[in-house]
Amino acid sequence: MNEMKPQLLLILLFLLTIARPVMAGITPEDTGGKRFTISGHMKDKKTGEELIGATIYIREIKTGTTTNVYGFYSISLIPGKYSILYSYIGYTSVEETLELKENSTVNIELVTRETQLREVVITGERPDENIRKPEMSVVKMDIKTINRIPALMGEVDIIKAIQLLPGVQSTSEGSSGFSVRGGGPDQNLILLDEAIVYNASHLLGFFSVFNNDAIKDVVLYKGDIPASSGGRLSSLLDIRMKDGNQKTLSGAGGIGTISSRLTLEGPIIADRTSFLVAGRRTYVDIFLPFAKNKDIRDNVLYFYDFNGKLNHRINDRNRIFLSGYFGRDVFANDFARMSLGNQTGTFRWNHLFSQKLFSNFTLIQSAYDYELGTPEGNASSFIWKSKMQNQSLKGDFTWYGGPNNTIRFGTSVTRHTFDPGNAKGTGSESLFTEYKLPRNYALEYGVYVSNEQKVSEKILIKYGVRFSAFQNIGPGTIYNYDEYYNVTDSVVYSSGTIINTYHAFEPRLGLNYMLTNTASIKASYSRTVQYVHLAQNSTAGTPLDLWFPSSPNVKPQKADQFAIGYFKNLKDNSIETSVEVYYKNMWDIIDFKDNAELLLNAELEGELRTGRGHAYGLELMARKNSGKLNGWISYTLSASRRKIEDINNGNSYRAPYEKPHNIAIVLNYEFNERAVLSANWVYSTGAPVTFPTGRAVIGNVIVPIYSDRNAYRLPDYHRLDLSFSIKGKNKKERKWQGEWNFSVYNAYGRKNAWTINFVQDPSNPGQTYAEKTYLFSIIPAITYNFKF
Amino acid sequence: MKTSYIFKNLKAFAFLVALSAFVSSCTEKIDIKLDEGYTRLIVEGTITTDTTAHTISLSHTTSYYYSEPAPGVTGATVTLSDGEAEITLAETEPGIYQTPADYYGIPGRTYRLNIILDSPISGEDTYTASSYMFPGVKLDSIKAAYHDDWGEEGFYELQCYVLDPPSTDFYQFKTYKNGVLITDTLSKVLITDDRFYNGNYTNGIGIGFLDQSKPKEKVATNDRLSVQTSRITEEYFNFVTELQIQSGYQTPLFSGPPANIKGNISNGAVGFFAAYPVSYAHTLVSEN
Repeated sequence: MNEMKPQLLLILLFLLTIARPVMAGITPEDTGGKRFTISGHMKDKKTGEELIGATIYIREIKTGTTTNVYGFYSISLIPGKYSILYSYIGYTSVEETLELKENSTVNIELVTRETQLREVVITGERPDENIRKPEMSVVKMDIKTINRIPALMGEVDIIKAIQLLPGVQSTSEGSSGFSVRGGGPDQNLILLDEAIVYNASHLLGFFSVFNNDAIKDVVLYKGDIPASSGGRLSSLLDIRMKDGNQKTLSGAGGIGTISSRLTLEGPIIADRTSFLVAGRRTYVDIFLPFAKNKDIRDNVLYFYDFNGKLNHRINDRNRIFLSGYFGRDVFANDFARMSLGNQTGTFRWNHLFSQKLFSNFTLIQSAYDYELGTPEGNASSFIWKSKMQNQSLKGDFTWYGGPNNTIRFGTSVTRHTFDPGNAKGTGSESLFTEYKLPRNYALEYGVYVSNEQKVSEKILIKYGVRFSAFQNIGPGTIYNYDEYYNVTDSVVYSSGTIINTYHAFEPRLGLNYMLTNTASIKASYSRTVQYVHLAQNSTAGTPLDLWFPSSPNVKPQKADQFAIGYFKNLKDNSIETSVEVYYKNMWDIIDFKDNAELLLNAELEGELRTGRGHAYGLELMARKNSGKLNGWISYTLSASRRKIEDINNGNSYRAPYEKPHNIAIVLNYEFNERAVLSANWVYSTGAPVTFPTGRAVIGNVIVPIYSDRNAYRLPDYHRLDLSFSIKGKNKKERKWQGEWNFSVYNAYGRKNAWTINFVQDPSNPGQTYAEKTYLFSIIPAITYNFKF
Repeated sequence: MKTSYIFKNLKAFAFLVALSAFVSSCTEKIDIKLDEGYTRLIVEGTITTDTTAHTISLSHTTSYYYSEPAPGVTGATVTLSDGEAEITLAETEPGIYQTPADYYGIPGRTYRLNIILDSPISGEDTYTASSYMFPGVKLDSIKAAYHDDWGEEGFYELQCYVLDPPSTDFYQFKTYKNGVLITDTLSKVLITDDRFYNGNYTNGIGIGFLDQSKPKEKVATNDRLSVQTSRITEEYFNFVTELQIQSGYQTPLFSGPPANIKGNISNGAVGFFAAYPVSYAHTLVSEN
């Protein structure tokens, strides 16, 4: 491990050289004049839950700040009398007046507005962060909004909600895989309390792993990814779990058509320590014994999730969090058994070095594994396992320089372990010898610094750079390939040796120019680099995920994204509209050769082909967050192409999820405080597919002959979902609050093609015809949700 | 390295379990207009160690919805060489070219096929292919085992007993019932590599499956079941694997993008010219 030290030193040096001039540039202004700091936390009054992204607005200087993901804020001002407005969407704002003559701590608790029925309560100073912040291509979704969206089989699903945003597409009907701005589903960094979730799907993708009752905040970055994050090309989906009610023991849950869930949270020591546990399990298998087909009757089929969190405030300066997720899918029948799941664990320590310097240290472990096997007692009994895991150590710092500068910097180290596959016989009768692909290891480093700076009343800029590096570490075997991708020889490296190193600078820039109080123009540029890749060439994604690292044979994927947008708020900020245009250039993106073998293949790298890609698009959105009628409408026009040697004869072809036109309409109508009707309608051009242009008969089999990849399209996709929810009467003394939700997925029964196959007519084997498979006709569901 | 057939089955299994139980998936005919690509020659032929008239058939590709048998390519000059002697095949039916009836392949030789067309297809009139014939393998024995819990009406599984050599080998198994070929299309033929039992005694691994719900495969007491075993080249193994995948059901969950199958004929022709040794093993079905 000695060889690693120079590398770390280099990174440290880099951090210092970058950080110094930036800090130096702003110190005279910030430390020259005498300033005091107001800082504190913002919380929900009822639960003590910290509010993320709440705004603090100082009327006198017409500027402000927002709370970070731990609900912390800090702002430094010259002494004086200030009135400060604290606000958060869905909460009643609070105004505080303060005579600032020393550093002060102001903790604020806000009360929820139970409904959004009344049109804007406070005018003028409503949160208009979407206009003011120098960040674009970002969408925040609150859980309340997500809960209202009609869901497949009544299972409220964060990822399905995200797919209704402009620039985001589902990979396939009903799938929780998503493509952001023409990227692949493996190019999304999905974080749950900062831990990577490798496979966010349950049940072959039809449901996602996130239990909405345990989730506090969801933010999707479609571009302009903050410098603090890296490692994926297309997007960052940052999901934060609730910390646990600090005031009273409370719970939430639901009994649904296919699953039930229960969340319990409460204080252990009031206002100091609290916990949260949440579980969910499906029970389709309970009904299986009633199935007509005996093959189905004997099946085992379920998934479950468990979330847990513990947090403890040591004192005003220190707080620790421990959180974890564990979920598993199990399918089995007489022939085989399959089980898979994610595990994540995060330990965090918030530390305030001073009122101006906030820090957080994180220790993360996350893993995804699957196993497939057949019952013992057979000559061919076997089990096949595969696992991917990482451990990460991170330090993130925010220095609240003054009202005009917020500097963020930090570093991270991640150790990846890849266990690509190991198959062996089970039981005494099995003949199978062990077939094991070697484990391999890699280290990924990141160092970043960025500043959010208010240049003038009208101009805000955000600039930063992330330096990332990636090393393959021994023990490991590296194969050498000839120009035809055949293995020529291999080199075995011993434990601890550095096999290969890649590094990259990833600049991130953002600019916001305020045109008026309600309109702004924003522009951004970001470079992203991805060092670990997914070996997956099916469109919807299988659970048999196999991640593999960059290596001497596989260069990291790189992307440059440019975006420009116009943002305008109407009717006292109650309607937000935006227009964004983006262009993305991608290098060394990965696809797979024809008929590639991705699983249990020691020579996987020989199946890869790399090349260029580009994507561009226009995204329009109008969103209304309050009033009886609320929701959004979005339209996306986009294209995404790839040009990769060896694929499609080296000609440019459509990327797998290129759907030029996309419309999503999500509407809620609140009749009164108890009843809400919700509807969403989606439309998209059909996904690109490859169809045969001829046939050959070989060995009495009709074999399709293809010409260009993705030259055809599935029929256009559209669907309407409806839901109606009604709450029980609100009784003052009773804590129990129930709500019935009735939903219909695909309300007008559109038979959307999931796949199109060309099949031989059973009655006339010489005849072939096209046959579409559709998954869902009209699917009704009932869910009972409760809170106490 | 290729995924063995077990994994292919498992993928299909996982897909079925999930879909059958969860999703009311349905299919229906749909009109899809397809363009027509350019025409290519199709070559299909096998040389084995059996003494018989071996056939090379020539046809050409058609539009996808073409519903007649593939049109034969007539008037070609087809020659076959095993490195020692060269023979010219006789066209016995349109597009069907045969060796003399006393012809047999000899293991260890490389067979070369040369085709000169009467009139070119897509600009090419000369096509070649070659295939090495491995030394044969003979199974020690096979056994028929009945599994009443597989499928709707049970399955007969043919289990094989043989010592696999230490080399990396690829095998093809064809099943016969009372002398009639059951695996009568390339999509039914079972192929496998030896990754999981390389160098070991294959103590009853399944190499043939007879679905008792299908009349043709239904087995009665005293039926004679046979397995034809061949050691095939990796190239042919890959070809059959790809053919089975590309002609099978494609699902967005597990299938990669559709792709052309890779044969061993030159100049863009489709198909495969294979040479492999064959040996037979038999078993009589006893009463259950």
